Amino acid sequence: MVGAFEQALLALMIFVIMLGMGASLTPRDFYLALRRPYGLAIGVISQYGFMPLIGFLLATFLVVPETIALGILIMACMPGGTTSNIFTYFSKGNLALSVLMTVTSTVTGVAMIPVVLVLYASALNLEIPRENIIVTLVLLLVPVAIGMLLRKLSANVGAVTEFFGSALALFFILFLMVSWIPRNWQFLLETTSATYIASIGLGLFGITIGYLFARALRLHPRNARTVALETGIQNGPLAIAIIVFTFQGAEAQAIMAVPVLYSLFIVIVSTCVTLVFRRANTAAEQKIPDSLL
Amino acid sequence: MHWEENGMTPEARPWTAFYGPTVRKDIETASYRTLADLIRSVSSTFGTAPAFTTCLPNGMNGTLSFQQVDEMSDAFAVYLREVAGLGQGDRVALQMPNCLSFPIAAFGILKAGCILVNVNPLYTADEMAKQFSDAEPHALVIVDMFADKIPAATQGHPIPNIIVTRVAEFLPVLPRGIVGLVQKHWDKSVKPIEVAHIRFPDAVTAGRDHMKRERIEADVYTQSVDAHDVACLQYTGGTTGVAKGAMLTHANLIMNMEQTMEMLEGVEKGKEVALTALPLYHIFAFTVNMLAFYWLGARNILIPNPRPLSNLKRAFENYKITWMSGVNTLFNGLTNEVWFTDSPPKFLKFSSAGGMALQAAVAQKWEGVTGKPVLQGYGLTETSPVLTFNPLGKTRDGSIGIPVPGTMVVCLDEAGMPVAQGQTGEIAAKGPQIMAGYWNKPDESGHALRDGWFLTGDIGVMDPDGYFRIVDRKKDMVVVSGFNVYPNEVEDCLALHPGILEAAVIGVPDDGTGEAVKAFVVKRDSGLSEADIRAHCKKHLTAYKVPKRVEFRDELPKSNVGKILRKDLRAEELARIAAE
Repeated sequence: MVGAFEQALLALMIFVIMLGMGASLTPRDFYLALRRPYGLAIGVISQYGFMPLIGFLLATFLVVPETIALGILIMACMPGGTTSNIFTYFSKGNLALSVLMTVTSTVTGVAMIPVVLVLYASALNLEIPRENIIVTLVLLLVPVAIGMLLRKLSANVGAVTEFFGSALALFFILFLMVSWIPRNWQFLLETTSATYIASIGLGLFGITIGYLFARALRLHPRNARTVALETGIQNGPLAIAIIVFTFQGAEAQAIMAVPVLYSLFIVIVSTCVTLVFRRANTAAEQKIPDSLL
Repeated sequence: MHWEENGMTPEARPWTAFYGPTVRKDIETASYRTLADLIRSVSSTFGTAPAFTTCLPNGMNGTLSFQQVDEMSDAFAVYLREVAGLGQGDRVALQMPNCLSFPIAAFGILKAGCILVNVNPLYTADEMAKQFSDAEPHALVIVDMFADKIPAATQGHPIPNIIVTRVAEFLPVLPRGIVGLVQKHWDKSVKPIEVAHIRFPDAVTAGRDHMKRERIEADVYTQSVDAHDVACLQYTGGTTGVAKGAMLTHANLIMNMEQTMEMLEGVEKGKEVALTALPLYHIFAFTVNMLAFYWLGARNILIPNPRPLSNLKRAFENYKITWMSGVNTLFNGLTNEVWFTDSPPKFLKFSSAGGMALQAAVAQKWEGVTGKPVLQGYGLTETSPVLTFNPLGKTRDGSIGIPVPGTMVVCLDEAGMPVAQGQTGEIAAKGPQIMAGYWNKPDESGHALRDGWFLTGDIGVMDPDGYFRIVDRKKDMVVVSGFNVYPNEVEDCLALHPGILEAAVIGVPDDGTGEAVKAFVVKRDSGLSEADIRAHCKKHLTAYKVPKRVEFRDELPKSNVGKILRKDLRAEELARIAAE
C-alpha cells in the first residue's frame, strides 16, 4: 500500500507538475480563452460532458465492484493531462490549442469536477466526499499560481520549471510502475478483465468520440486530432492525488486501481493513436509541395 | 556618364520635400571612422543596459549588456590577433543563426581589423566550399549544429582556425545545459565535430588572459584602419548569378546606418526593444538590427529560428517589443497566427520591411492587426543595403519610398541615360553606402559600378514627387522570402540528375514566399518522379533553392540558337494563373 513517504513524494510530484503547468501560462491566456468561448465550450463539453458519460456507461455496463466503479468515475471526471500536450506535439496537432484546453479544463475543473462527480456517483449510488475533493482541487491551483508568478519574475525560471514539470509527468508513470504495481501484483492478477477494459476503454473511447465530435464541428483535421487526444488523455496523477488525500487504506488502493492502470495504458494507447495520426498527416501532406521557409 | 549635366544634379531631388523637419538632406561625414570606434563609443554610453537577448522558443533566454559585449568582443579581437595570429585585413567567416555569440564574434572581428565574411548557416557543404574558396578565410566561427559540414566544405581550402559556438551560448547554466542535452540527445541537431577546434567561450577567455598578461589594449588593431577599408564581405549572387563578395567598407556601413536612422523619426535612444527574427548574416538585419539598433542603445531580442512562427510567441509575450523588422513572408505569416492576432504587441511603434516586395494586402492586414504601419524599404547587398525607405506617416502602398539622405536614385534607359519622368528604367544609385566593388572581381565590379553609380538590375519608375516603385527585375533571379535564387544554379543541379534530359527554372508568384522556384523538366528516364527531383536537389542545395513546383514537359521553348526561353515559360505560367 502507499506509505507516508510515497504519499509525500506523490504530493511533491503533483506539486511540480502543476507548477510546470502554471509556468507555461500568462494571465493573457485566460483572457484570450474567455474571448474565445467557442474553443472553451468545445473543451468543457468534451472534458466534462463526454468523458464522465463514457465513465458512467463503463461503470454501469461492466460488472465491477463499487470501489472500481468509483475509480472509473473519478478518472473520467478529471481535467486534461499535461501529457496530452506532448502527444499533440508528436501527432502534429495544434499545440497552442492543446495547452489552452488543458488549462481551461483544469481551471473550470474546480467547479465542474464536484458537480459531474456527485451527479454520476449518486446515479450509481456511490458515496463521494465532495468537500475533500473541492479542497484538493483548490489546493492544486496554488502551485499553478506560483508557477505563473515564477514565469512572470523570470522567463528562465519559468521555462526550466515548465520543462521539469512535463518531464516529471512522464517520470510519474515510471514511479507508478515501481511503487504501486509490485505491491498490488496479487490484485492485478485477481481483478476481472472488466477493470482492464475500463482502464483501456476510457482513453480509447474518449479519443474516438473527441475526434468524431471535432469533425462534426468541421474543425480542421489538425485541430480535430488535438481535441481527440485532449479529450482522451486525462490527468492521471491528479486522480491518484485526489484519491490518496480523500480516501484511506485498502479502499484507497482499490479505488486507485483504474487511475493507475489508466495512466499506464494511456501511454500505449496514445502512442498508437499518434502513429495513426502521423500517418494521416503525412498522407494529407503529400498532395502539397514541401513548404519552403 | 555625363548625364548629370542633363539636369539630374544633386539638387534635383523632389523627394527631399518628404523628409521630416529634423532630417538632414545630406550626411557629409560619418560620425565614426570605423565600426570599432562606433561599438566602443556606444558601449560606454549605454554601459550596463541590456544590449542583446537570445530568446528560445520555450522562453529560455540570456542577456548581455553593452559593456559585456564590448569587453568580450575586445577579448575575441585579441584572441584573433595574438593567439590565432591573424593580421589586419585577414578574412574571418561567421556562420551561425542569431544568438549571443553573433554580435561578440562580429564586433570582435571588426575590432581586430579583420574582414567579416557572413555565411548563411543553412548552406550545404558545396555552397560553403564555393564561398570559402573565394574569400579564403583564415578563421571560421561556426555554430556546432553545422560544424559537421566543415571537412567537406574546406577540402582543398583548409581554414587554420575553427572556433565553435552553440545557440545557447552565454545563457545561464541551467537553461544552457537543458538546451544542450535536448540538442544532443533529443533532436540530435548537434553531431560530433571531427575537426580540431576551440570553443568560442574558451577563445574569449584566452584573449582576455592574453590581454591582461601582455597589457594589450584592443583598440590598437584599428588605429591604422581607414574608413574606406573593407569591413565585410557580404556574398550575393548580385544581378548576374555568380556568387560574389560585395566589399562593404566601414564608411559604407556606418553611413548607411546613419542614413536609415535619419529617416526613422520617432525612435528614442536607449528606449527601444527590437525583435530580430531575420537572420543577422543577411545584410538587412546586419545593418539595421545589429548596427543601427546597437547604436540607438536598443535591446535586441535575437530569435535563433523563427520557424515555425510559434517560436516567436514567447518573445512577444515576455518582451515589450517596440520595433521589428521583417520580410513579407514573416508579416504575412504572423497575421495568420491566432495567438498573434488575438493579442498583438501593445508597445509596437512601427515595423520595417525589406528583402522582398511587401505585398499591399499584407501591409494592410498588418496595420489592421497591430494598428501600426509597416514601412517598406529597398536596397541591395551592394548598397549596405538601404537605398530608399518610406517615411513614417507618409507611406505609400506598393512604393519602396524615397531615397535616404545623401542618396541619388535615377532610372536609366538601355543607353544609360536618365528616362523621362514617369518612364520605367533600370534603377541606379549613388551615395556613401555603395560598395567598394566585388572581391577579386574587377570585371564584375566595372559592370556594376559606373562613375560611382551602382546599377541595381531592377526596373523601376519614379512618381512625379520622388517616390519610387519597382516594376520588374531585369534578370531572371527568383526571390524566395527575401533570399535570392539564381535559376542557373538550380538548373545546373537538375542537370546533374541522370534521369533529366533538360530543365529550365523560373520564379512563379507564391502566396507564401512571394516567389517560388518552379522547374520545367524534360525526362530522360520515364520513371522519374517529382519526389526524386526534389530529393536530388535537397542533396546539393539549401532548402529555399529547391524547386517548390515541378512540371514535366515534352520539350522546352527555345530560341533559334537553342537557348531555353525562360521568359516564354514565365509568360505561359502567368497566363495560366490569370486564366485560373
